[in-house]
This record gives sequence, structure tokens and C-alpha cells, in this order.
Amino acid sequence: MRADGRLLGLIIAGAAAVLWAVPFLWMAIASLRPGVPPDIASLTPAGPFALANFAEAWRSGDFPLWYLNTVLVCGGILVVQLVTITAAGYAFARLRFPGRDLLFVLFLLQLLLIPALLIVPNLATLVTLHLYDTLPGIMAPYCASAFGTFLMRQTFRAIPRDYEEAAMLEGASIPVLIRHVLVPLARPGLIAFAIVSVTAHWNEFLWPLMAVSSPKNQVLTVGLASFASGAEAGSAWGIVAAGTFLVAGPLLVLFLIFQRRFVSSFIFSGIK
Amino acid sequence: MEPITRRRAIGGALAVPAAAALARAAQAADPTEIDLFFPVPVQGKLADEMKKLVDRFNGEHPEIKVTAVYTGSYDDTNLKTRAAIKAGRPPAAVIMSANFVREYVINGEVDPFDPLIEKEGKTPAAYMDTFWAALKPNAVVDGKVYGVPYQNSTPLMYYSVAAFTDAGLDPDKPPTNWAEWLDAAKKLTKPGGERWGINFPGTYDYCGWITSALVMQNGGQYYNHDYGGEVYYNAPSSLGALTLLDTLVNKAKVMPPGVSDANTCTSAFFAGRLGTMLLSTGSLSFVRENMKAPYRVAFLPKSVRKAAPIGGASLILPKGNTPERQAAAWSLINWLTSPEIAGHWSRFTGYFAPRKAAYDLPEMKQYLQEHPDAEVALDQLAYAVPWFDTYNTVAVRKAMEDQVQAILSGKTSPADAAAAAQKSADELLRPYVEQTALKPV
Repeated sequence: MRADGRLLGLIIAGAAAVLWAVPFLWMAIASLRPGVPPDIASLTPAGPFALANFAEAWRSGDFPLWYLNTVLVCGGILVVQLVTITAAGYAFARLRFPGRDLLFVLFLLQLLLIPALLIVPNLATLVTLHLYDTLPGIMAPYCASAFGTFLMRQTFRAIPRDYEEAAMLEGASIPVLIRHVLVPLARPGLIAFAIVSVTAHWNEFLWPLMAVSSPKNQVLTVGLASFASGAEAGSAWGIVAAGTFLVAGPLLVLFLIFQRRFVSSFIFSGIK
Repeated sequence: MEPITRRRAIGGALAVPAAAALARAAQAADPTEIDLFFPVPVQGKLADEMKKLVDRFNGEHPEIKVTAVYTGSYDDTNLKTRAAIKAGRPPAAVIMSANFVREYVINGEVDPFDPLIEKEGKTPAAYMDTFWAALKPNAVVDGKVYGVPYQNSTPLMYYSVAAFTDAGLDPDKPPTNWAEWLDAAKKLTKPGGERWGINFPGTYDYCGWITSALVMQNGGQYYNHDYGGEVYYNAPSSLGALTLLDTLVNKAKVMPPGVSDANTCTSAFFAGRLGTMLLSTGSLSFVRENMKAPYRVAFLPKSVRKAAPIGGASLILPKGNTPERQAAAWSLINWLTSPEIAGHWSRFTGYFAPRKAAYDLPEMKQYLQEHPDAEVALDQLAYAVPWFDTYNTVAVRKAMEDQVQAILSGKTSPADAAAAAQKSADELLRPYVEQTALKPV
């Protein structure tokens, strides 16, 4: 009975994995087929195969610049967020101050807003701060994260107070306590958040499209769309697939390298 | 501001030619910087070509420095332009989907071209006469010019010669009316999805465009061309068009059920699995480059009359720019729509050139001779009708599109769809109607 259950689980998981892998497989195959072959939907084409699509996609845009900008944006957002969510998470988890729970609820309410709703007010703020059409302008709205604050509050609350009390007895101040005691213990939570944050901002399209105009500030997603999207005509699938690979590639590689750690972080933090 | 006054002061003190030369030199050293928002509505290489064009303009006009900003699809471009205007950073010029112009006028977010045209000693009416007449209704609102047509299209029927021959049809005699079209589609369709008789993109935007074409062929207006507060979704002409779609998909089964996008249509067409498709003239170059087997194009099959709605984009001047930036934008717009450049862009994309004089150029005459499909697209302009534009255009358009998609998926009847579309459109239009047509005197 037990063995049967395990087999069933394996079959379901296997089927899900195949289902999930098919689009990637198709993208890989399509990206290797030059021109617009009539059987473009085929998963088992006869060929010919070539790297021409990658060359064409690479030529179609300034990929090195887009990579640099995207890395700067995602990295910049992450660094600031790690600081703010750790501090805010600690405040909501441990400090006592009047209105704490109300403030926390207000913080969480932000998760209910559709980002598109905030485009115009955010843009107006950027103009006032002289950040319109700059990379820091793309990052600005994400300096604080309601989700990250919530995640770190839960993570800190799960850590027994004994550690902190011991450190306090040794005379540690709150910043020292956070840095040397709590952050190392909360590392899986921080890693889980980092994955969510980097993936979200790497893939984001609408806000970078709104916030920057100059070609020198362009990011990968907007750049890809500039030669991949077409409303009135069909697209050359092979080039689109190759371009998508160039955009998603770094994230895929990172995931393969750190796969084990990612998975254990997610299990730890309860995100499934 | 300060350098300009100093320049003027010096200019006043010197002899006129020297002053002019100095002003030119000063301008060259300090060009007016403007930005042009542009969408890429058709296939890829256009973004590249647009940048090349702008580089050429900058080279020929040292006093102006244009940055071409890619802004996504037509809808994304609309969103970004709106947001930028509201945030106080309007772009100097935008290539905007032609049917959004009216809404910008209603919202007071664009400036008219009239003063700039008059400054050159022309009347706005004479200026508009240099463009194809069918483009006027989407460019002129309340008697003023708010859009300069740049790249325009109509839907066209593409058909596969091989499929026609195989089905025993004469490729020299494409269907010219709905009855012939349905008849041909029945012969073209092979069971099991091996080959379909008809398809067109049913995704948002395209769906509304093709639907309006069918309604207008059926004798209808579809919407009030002169007033942004009325649509005729539940009129007999609309009901007839919806019934045709229901017949094609659910009764005769000559069109694939569900919603296809443009890629699905072209892929099937290239693979010989589609007999006829309705697609933009803006796709002519893409189809020409990728279709290996012979194909031809023809007018849309008619019902009561021949009609094809205009599509494509116009250049607009967002409100809130300085006179210097606006003058620079006007130079750019004049250059982009000049017969030579408009003709070049037309040959590159497949869009027709909105400026009539473009077709008097020898390279354009040669192009039409070599590509009879482009000639058909141009001839169909005689039957062109304006493009759907109302208050809250996108939402009102979607009110019908959602119902058409439901018909394509076999989830509703034509009569219910027409009634439901009219009801939700009326609700969306009410705020505007109450402020205009129904406003108490």
C-alpha cells in the first residue's frame, strides 16, 4: 500500500516535471532552427539546426549593456532590501512600541495594491526626486518590501530568544545583535527572499518600461520586447526563443548551480 | 533660459547675416533635445530601422538631437505616454495608435498641429489633403489636426494558391462576398484540423479591428464616427457579422474554434494548413519574406458593401512641451512623413504610405510593379473607413471583443453577445455621455 502510494506520487511528480519542461524544451529546439520553418511547433524536427538565431538576437540589441543594467538594478534593489527588511522585520518581531500591530497591518495592506495602480504617483515622485529616467529610479519603489518584512518578522520570531538574551548579557547592542546573532540564524529566510526578489525584478517589464526612456538605461526585458513583440504580424519564433534564452539564461544557470540550497531555503521558510 | 537671452542680445547688436550665422553656430553647439516614443507593432527589425532613421535625421539636422525611445506595444505606448504626461515629463512626439488620438483630445492631453501648419503658410485643410482621405477622421477631431498619419494599414485577405488549386478553386477568382467565402472555406477545410478554410487573429485589438471590418462590410457604422459616446453593437449590421462568425466556427466548422493569435495564423498559413486569413497590410513584408509557397492577397469579401477599417499609427504632440521642443518635434514629424521617408518606411514594413505624393516617386512605382500585393492593399483604400475610436476606447472595444471571443469559443449566441456587448459599452460610455449629449441645458 505504502509502496503504491510512493509510486503514484512519483508518477504525478514525473508528469508535472515533463509538463513543466516541455515549453523549455520547445524553446531550446525552436531557438536552434533558423528562419521560419513551417513545422515550428514540432518537438522532433528533422533540422537543419544552427546558431543563427542567437547571432541575430545578439545583434538585434545591446545585450552587454542590458545585462549590466539588469544586474545593477536587481543587485541594487536586493542590497537595499536586505538591510531594510532585516531592520523592519526585527522591529516588528521584537521591539515593543505603541501601534506596532496596526503599523504592521498597514504594511501588509500594501500587498493588496496592484502595482499598475501606483505607476503615475510613483512617476511623479521620481520626477520630484530627479530620478526619472535613471537606474536608481527603477529601484526606488522597491527599497522597502512588505513581503520581505513579513518574511523576516516570521523568521525572527521562530528564533528562540535565548540566543539574544545570551548576547545581551555579553553586552551586545541591537545592531551587533542583529548582525552577529540573528542574521546568521535567519540566513535561509534571507536567501529565500533574495531568490524571489531577484527573479521578480529580473523579469519585470512594465515598471522599467515606464520609468526609463534613454537607451543607455534599458534593461533586458524591455530590450527583448523591442525586437520580439509584434501585434500586427507574426513573429520569427526562432529569434524570439533565442532572445528569451539570452534573457532567462543567467537565472537558469544560477538556479542549476545553487539548486540544492534554494530548495532547502524554500522548505525552511515554508514557501512551497 | 539665460543663454537664449544672451544670444538674442548679441544677435540684436550685430548685422543680420552674422547674427543668423552665430545663432546657427550656437544652436549647433547646443542642440534642442527631444524624445520620440515609438511602438513596434509589427515584426522585429523595425526597431532597428527606426533607430537608423533617427540617426539619419540627427545627422541632417545638427540643431536637433532626437532620441528614439522604444515603448512596447500600442497599448504599452499609450500607457507610458499617459503616465509621462501626468508625471510632468511629456515626450516631444509619439507614434500613437491612430484610434487613441480622440481620447487624448477628450482628455486635453495633446496640442493641435494647426498653429505649426499655419506658420508655414498652409491651411490645415490643405495640409490634410496631402494624405489619403480615409485617414482624416482619425486624425482630425473637432475641426483641428491632432494626428499626422505615419504608418497605416487595412485588413487584407491573404490566400494560398496551392490550397486553392488543391481544393478545386480558381486562384484567379478569390471569393468576393461572404457567400462565396463560406463556400470556398468549406471546400478548403480538411477534417481533423489538417487544413482550415478561414482564420484571423482573435486576440485583443486585432479582434475588435476585424469585427468592425465585418460589421462595416455588412453596411453598419459600428460606432458613431463623429461623437465618442455611441456604439452600435446591437444593430442588425453587427448582429449579422456576429452570426457569420458563429456560422464559420460553430456551424460550418471552417474556422478553428477558440482564439488564435497572429503567430498561429501566419504559422499555419506558411505551413499550408490555412486557406484564407485576414491580416493587416502591415504584415505584407513579413509574409512575403517567409511564405515559401505562392500566395496572393485580395480585398476583404464584402456583404452589403466593400469596407476596410484603417489601422496603424499617427504622430501626436503631447501637451506640456516648450515651444522650442515642439518646433523641433514638428521638424522631425515633417521629415518622417515626407514622401521620400514615408515611401521608404512603407517598402520596409508593408504599411501603406499615408502621404499620397509618396506614390509619385519612381522607386515607389517600381515597388508596386514588382509587388502586386502592395498594389491591392493600396487599391482597397478606396473603400477604407475610419478606425474605432470613442471615449475610453480600449475598454469599450473590449466590451465587444470579450463577446466575440465567447462566440469563437462556442460559449454564447450571436444575439446574446450583441446585447451583452452593447450593455457593457453603454455603461462604460455613460460618464462621457452624461457630460456631453445628456447634459442638462
